[in-house]
Amino acid sequence: MRRRSALRLLHCIALAFLAVATSLIFAGAARGQTSSITVTDDVGREVRMVQPVKRIVSLAPSVTETIFALGAQDRLVGDTDFCDYPPEARQKPHVGSVMAPNLEEIVALKPDVVIASKAGNRIETVRALESLHIAVYGTYARSVADVLQSMQKLARVIGAEEQGDKIAAALQARLDALHQQLQNVPRVRVLFVVWRDPLISMGQQTFLADAMRAAGAESVITSEQDWPHVSMEEMVKLQPDYLVFSADDRARGQQEFAAIVDTPGWRDLRAVREKRVAIVPDAISYPAPRLIDAIEVLARQLHPEAFSSPSTPQREIAR
Amino acid sequence: MKPVTLERVAWICIIMLAVLFGVVVLSLKVGAVPISVADLAVNLGRVLIGRSAQLPSEYSLIVFDLRLPRIVLGILVGAALSVSGAGFQALLRNPLADPYVLGVSSGAALGAIIAVIALPQLPLMSPAAAFITATATITLVYFLGRREGQLDSTTLLLGGIIAASFLSAVIVFLMSTLPGHEFRGMSFWLMGDLSTPLAASLRWILGVGLLIGAGAIYTTAGDLNIITTGEREAIHLGVEVTRVKLVVYISASLLTALAVSVSGAIGYVGLLVPHVMRLLFGSDYRVLIPASAIGGAIVVVVADTLARTVVAPTELPVGAMTAIAGAPVFLYLLRRRMA
Repeated sequence: MRRRSALRLLHCIALAFLAVATSLIFAGAARGQTSSITVTDDVGREVRMVQPVKRIVSLAPSVTETIFALGAQDRLVGDTDFCDYPPEARQKPHVGSVMAPNLEEIVALKPDVVIASKAGNRIETVRALESLHIAVYGTYARSVADVLQSMQKLARVIGAEEQGDKIAAALQARLDALHQQLQNVPRVRVLFVVWRDPLISMGQQTFLADAMRAAGAESVITSEQDWPHVSMEEMVKLQPDYLVFSADDRARGQQEFAAIVDTPGWRDLRAVREKRVAIVPDAISYPAPRLIDAIEVLARQLHPEAFSSPSTPQREIAR
Repeated sequence: MKPVTLERVAWICIIMLAVLFGVVVLSLKVGAVPISVADLAVNLGRVLIGRSAQLPSEYSLIVFDLRLPRIVLGILVGAALSVSGAGFQALLRNPLADPYVLGVSSGAALGAIIAVIALPQLPLMSPAAAFITATATITLVYFLGRREGQLDSTTLLLGGIIAASFLSAVIVFLMSTLPGHEFRGMSFWLMGDLSTPLAASLRWILGVGLLIGAGAIYTTAGDLNIITTGEREAIHLGVEVTRVKLVVYISASLLTALAVSVSGAIGYVGLLVPHVMRLLFGSDYRVLIPASAIGGAIVVVVADTLARTVVAPTELPVGAMTAIAGAPVFLYLLRRRMA
């Protein structure tokens, strides 16, 4: 009897010893990896984060897509309910919506860094995470060039520099080729429909307006606001050459167009009456690598004459 | 109706505090990382004896930096809103009066928006500016509501409604004409939101303000009982009606301004909780005010727990929860009253 209790005591001591030892080892390991760097994000904030980054939480679809493109998806431990590209992004644990992610869920994922997007997330979310001492890196793009730069910068921060430079160079080459092809065609004046009812388009200071320029088009909206409500009267006065809709597939885009064909205001647009409508993939709305695909698709619809020669190698990439 | 004794008030408070305690424990338990009550007790114990360093780090972040402060904020905001609701209902002798009827929330929202436009780099400015404009709105409405030197209920209500719609129009004007500002957060705030952690200093201000405001209203509880039966009778019975009204008006407004400036407009709490308490414990203000304070705290903590769990991991604004549950209850009470 006594022997058994002595044995148990010994057991306990051994266990306690083991616990202390393992915690020391882990503490040592933790101390070993606490090298940290301070970087400036796209919004101009100084962000201090541990290196190497092993656990990333993304708070926006564009960020998730970029991280997959950079080949860092294994380190992506959480994303939002809206992250649906690539399809594997849906398998990641979700932290809620872009506008109202769940802070507890984010904390529970123990991220080394949370990547946010100024265009999608709320400043309150960023501040809340900062107050919990979680590093938040903000991405932001006001032009197509910004999108590539932002991606390269993010790649450096998460230690995927090589991949980032490689993708950026490839995308830049495609943009340059497109620029060459569109050199001699006149710019088309377009209305990009961000939202149909009420009509919302984008101002000149957005990457979307710049994407239009890259596709050989020019938005008719000259607003200083990023997402201005636009009056139908103004549209009738401006008479855009083309309407541009974004949709996850062509049929959906045609539905959008069918919904407006006979409505007052819309039917007073020559572009509507003459069915001059371009439908581009949803990717046009995300500052991520697929933006370039969408720009190419748009350029082909707006300027078919510039792509008539079959010698262009970009053909296959645009779907 | 049983006579109101100190003992009865104490018993009611103890029972309701027990309910509140149960709700708080439940709220601490549920969420992204479910936590057992035993763990909770052990870790709370550790914190109480000053050994918080022993807690697992993300656990301590979630429970002690996110959940607990949020619950405390819910308690303070809920108590402030329903005490001020009880105060306004007595003051206006209108059981359908609500802290927001007097334009307070629109005033606060305007202040918060001005702060976002003028000083976007200072997050603490937003609640401060909201409080200032809420107080200014209340003062303005007070002067609008006076007739022949007396506070007139109908004029006050109308003045409040007009002020609210005017201020809302100014807000819409600012939001749709000024480019390049961060207004997306505002839509959440307007619906009432407790998800953004509040600076500890603001929590203290809110707590002290609540004690002062609710305490001031409680000192007038006996007089309010008489005033609700009729002002003229109250004057004959020697109640200083003007002074009582002023005290209740200022305190209730202060409470509303405090609550709105940190959490936005959480509707129906100030309107409904005093009614439910009246049904449960009678309309004596000496019981009604403490009961409303605790009841409001319970309702807001429950609503916020639901707001962060029903469509988890996405969060709903708590104001949406209180409105979904509150509007049907309100209609029920309204029909009952008419019958």
